[in-house]
Formats: sequence, C-alpha cells, structure tokens
Amino acid sequence: MIKAVDVKRIFTGRGITVRAVDGVSLEVAKGEVVVVIGPSGSGKSTFLRCINGLESFNSGHIYIDGVDLADRKTNINKIRAEVGMVFQQFNLFPHKNVLENLTLAQIRVRRRSRTVAEEKSRQLLVKVGIADKEKEYPSRLSGGQQQRVAIARALAMDPKVMLFDEPTSALDPEMVGEVLDVMKQLAREGMTMVVVTHEMGFAREVADRVIFMDQGKVVETGTPEHFFTSPREERTQLFLKQVL
Amino acid sequence: MNATGDTWPWRLLLAVILLGMAAAIWGAVQKIDYEWRWYRVPQYFFYKAEDLQKAPFDGQVSAIDGQGRVTAVTVTSAAGEKAVLEVDSASVKVELEEEVFSGDAVGFSSSWKMGPLIMGMWTTIWISFVSGILGLIIGLLTGLARISKNFTINGLAAVYIEFIRGTPLLVQIFIAYFFVGTVFNLSRNVAGVGALALFAGAYIAEIVRAGIQSISRGQMEAARSLGMTMPQAMLDIILPQALKRILPPLSGQFISLIKDSSLVSVIAITDLTKSGREIITSTFATFEVWLVIAAMYLIITSVLSQLVFYMERRFAVSD
Repeated sequence: MIKAVDVKRIFTGRGITVRAVDGVSLEVAKGEVVVVIGPSGSGKSTFLRCINGLESFNSGHIYIDGVDLADRKTNINKIRAEVGMVFQQFNLFPHKNVLENLTLAQIRVRRRSRTVAEEKSRQLLVKVGIADKEKEYPSRLSGGQQQRVAIARALAMDPKVMLFDEPTSALDPEMVGEVLDVMKQLAREGMTMVVVTHEMGFAREVADRVIFMDQGKVVETGTPEHFFTSPREERTQLFLKQVL
Repeated sequence: MNATGDTWPWRLLLAVILLGMAAAIWGAVQKIDYEWRWYRVPQYFFYKAEDLQKAPFDGQVSAIDGQGRVTAVTVTSAAGEKAVLEVDSASVKVELEEEVFSGDAVGFSSSWKMGPLIMGMWTTIWISFVSGILGLIIGLLTGLARISKNFTINGLAAVYIEFIRGTPLLVQIFIAYFFVGTVFNLSRNVAGVGALALFAGAYIAEIVRAGIQSISRGQMEAARSLGMTMPQAMLDIILPQALKRILPPLSGQFISLIKDSSLVSVIAITDLTKSGREIITSTFATFEVWLVIAAMYLIITSVLSQLVFYMERRFAVSD
C-alpha cells in the first residue's frame, strides 16, 4: 500500500542543516495499522507529511499503491484524494458548517452530486457520533468533536490510507478518549493507517507495528508486545522509560 | 470600574463638547462678517427648466386643449400636416385659429431637472464605483501575484505596487491623462477611472496579500490534503476567509477612493468637487457650497460604511 525507500528531507537555511528525515524506509501493507512514536523533533511528522506530498522530500521514493510520489509526472492531487490526513490542529474550514466541511471536497474533487455527498457525509457523522451537529460551525464544537469531524471529512473521500498527525495532542484530556475510540473503530474495520502519536495506550492496543524514530532515523521497529516489554535499542528504552 | 454603570454623564459631556465646538465655529464666523446665502443652494440640486416650444412649420392653430396645468396646442399646416405641442397652461401665447409661422413661440413647457450638485454626485458615484470594482480585480490579482512563488510574477507585482504607492495620485492622474491618454487617445473619463483603479488596486493588493497570509497554513494544507487543487483551495477555502478578515481595511480603502475621486476634477471631469467650484464662480457662496459638498461626500461614504457594517454582521455567523 505504502512503500517508502530511503526518504530524506533536509532543511537548510542560515547555514544550519537539519536532517529532519534521514533515510527512512518503510512498508505498510493494506489494512495494517502502523504507529510512529518518538521524541519531538524526531522527524515523524515530517515523514508523515511526505507521504501525502504536503512536504516534499529531497531524495528517495514513496510509492502509494505503486505510484511514485518522486515522479514529476505523478498528479499529486489524485494521490491526496486517496490518502486522508488528520491534523493536530484539526484544520476544519471555519467558514463552512460541519456538513459543508464534509461535502466540499467530495463535490469538488470526487465530482459527486450534492445529494450523494450529503448522504455520505451524514452516514459518516453518525459513525463518528455527531450526527446532531451537522448545521453547526466548527467554532461551536469542542476540540474532540472538531477532531471527529476532521476524521469524518477525510473519510468522506473514501481514502485507501489514513494518516494521523498527533490527532489527540491538542485536545483536553477528557476528549482524547472519544477521538481514539473513532480511530480504534476504523482500525477494526480494516483501514490502512499510519498514526503519529504520543498515546502509548493506543499504540499498545491497536497497532500492528510500532516504529520508533529519533533524529530523522528509524531506530526500532516491532510489534507492540516486543516494543513495550523488551525494546532492543538503548534509545528506545530511554524514551519509553520517560513516557510510560 | 463598574461596566454596567450609567453612561449618561458621559453622553451629556459629549453633547456639551459638540455644542461647544459648534458655538465656537458660529462665533468665529460672526467675527468675519460673512453673509450666508443658503437660499442660493437648493436650485443647484434641482431646478425647473423652461423650454420654449416653437411652431415647427407655417400653419394655423387648429385646437387648444386645456387640461389643468398642461395645454396641448395643435398646429396644422396648409398641406394638412399636424403637430401637437404641450405647454404650460399659463404660458400659452397663441389663440385658436391664429396664423403662426415656423419658429413662432407657442408657449413654454417646464420640467424638473437635476442640477449640477446632483449630476456631480452621480459622476462621483459612478467613477468611484467603476474604479472600485476595477481596483478590486486588479488588487486581487496583484495580491495573488505577490504571494506567488514565481519570481517574475512576484517581481512585476512588487514593481507595480512600489511605483503606485510611491508617487502622488494627482501626478498619476496627470500622467494618465496627458501622457498615456495622448498616446493611446483615451477620453478623460477612461484616463480618470484608469488612474483611480490602478491607484486603489495597489493598496488593495497589499490588503489582499496580508489577508491571505493571515489565514493559517493549516487551512491550505487541509484543503490540499483532500485532493483539492491550488485554485480550488484558494477560491473555496482561503479567499472567503481572507475576505471576511480584510473587509474593514477594504472598506476604508473604498472610502478613500471615493474621496480621492475628487482629484479627477483636475482633468475637467465634472464630479462633485468640480461642480462645487463651478457653482461658486456663479454664486460666490463659498462657505455654503463647500459645506454642502462635504456633507454630500459624507453621505456617500457613510452609506458605504453602513453597507460594509451590514456585511460584517452577515459574515459573523460562523464566529
């Protein structure tokens, strides 16, 4: 589904070179849930953003369903329509109500009719548990509700892959659960997911594979059991000791 | 501080200050012994025009039908040609069966006409409106060009904005009319509207650029992550939000444009200001006319501010 080969993203400016993503290779199979953890500044978000082309990478290849993002002829908008993204800051469109947030891209990108798009949106709002808020504007919703709308908005495009960039980091603690529940449900339904998060509980419960990144490199990969009980690398052990 | 306390002492103070200022102005005017002639002003808003109605050919008055204030006089020529002239009943100068010759006065017809103040105001309104719309289009495109990553487009926009903002509007109007207008054979209206539109466009471009840049990057990223193209994201996501935010500075720019339009009077466009100058040459009622002109500009600009205020409240539903 996703195949990354030696992806490098290097920022240069004012004489400083930052190797944000430094030779990351990764393969994610269909229906797999991969959780990426690591300290802040480890390049995990940058790598995630490379997967749907929001961040360009300097070298390497990322294949989505066999299509290479590094190929100049690739239509990035087509790829993005298949790769849903959920952001830390939700990024709902504040000038549109919940329903319009969900229908806009369906109509513009998927060329669905308004009725079809609205029906699809309402189903998804039921799924994420906010069917009664479709006429509200995002500013009237709580953080947890906004993030669930954002998930529904990404799902409305019928993506093949869902990327989550620290989806619960900007939430009040009591709202984290409701968002994680939606994500768990998605994982159970067989959605291919790449999740950057600090929620170790989620990683342990849902992940098929956990990846630990530090300083732009993949330090350790493994199943959750392996990861949380007997990590191999010293850096991983240190990190887990601090967060658990 | 008690926020819910009475505000009437402050209202009273405001009224006292305003009255005091009015009294001071009145006192100052008394000192210079100016004779106010307000009665001369109304005729420049609307006036009753009297048109002399003449017999179109030699003939005879065959009928006079008086119906209240208007009388229809029918003139028939020897060849049987008929002409009906409508004149004021009080001004009929012919009798039934009277012989008239081509060019003879039959009477006067009167009608209310718009005076120079109204005509000038209309000119100011349409010049401001047209140049405002053009300025908005130019400003939008230039603003988008300013955030473009393409060096050439960005550079062109920057040069345009720098040139316009760095030179006086009056000079630009002269250049537009005397230089560009001569080269391309433009009428004074085209030159005037063009100069104003280019001038407003440069300022609007900066407002638009600031507005777009004030929208968080996440909005564009969210739109793009859904597969929307750059133009789609701009039109559906960024610009509507930016527009809401730039409405206050934009309305300020349009108000400036209305006021700046008074400068086109220098290339002999008869706008409100030039009408005022013309009226003063025939009435010498300098104080009255300029005060009236100022009030008329104030009316136009406050209608615009109210309109924008209304739009702001409409946009506020998503806050």
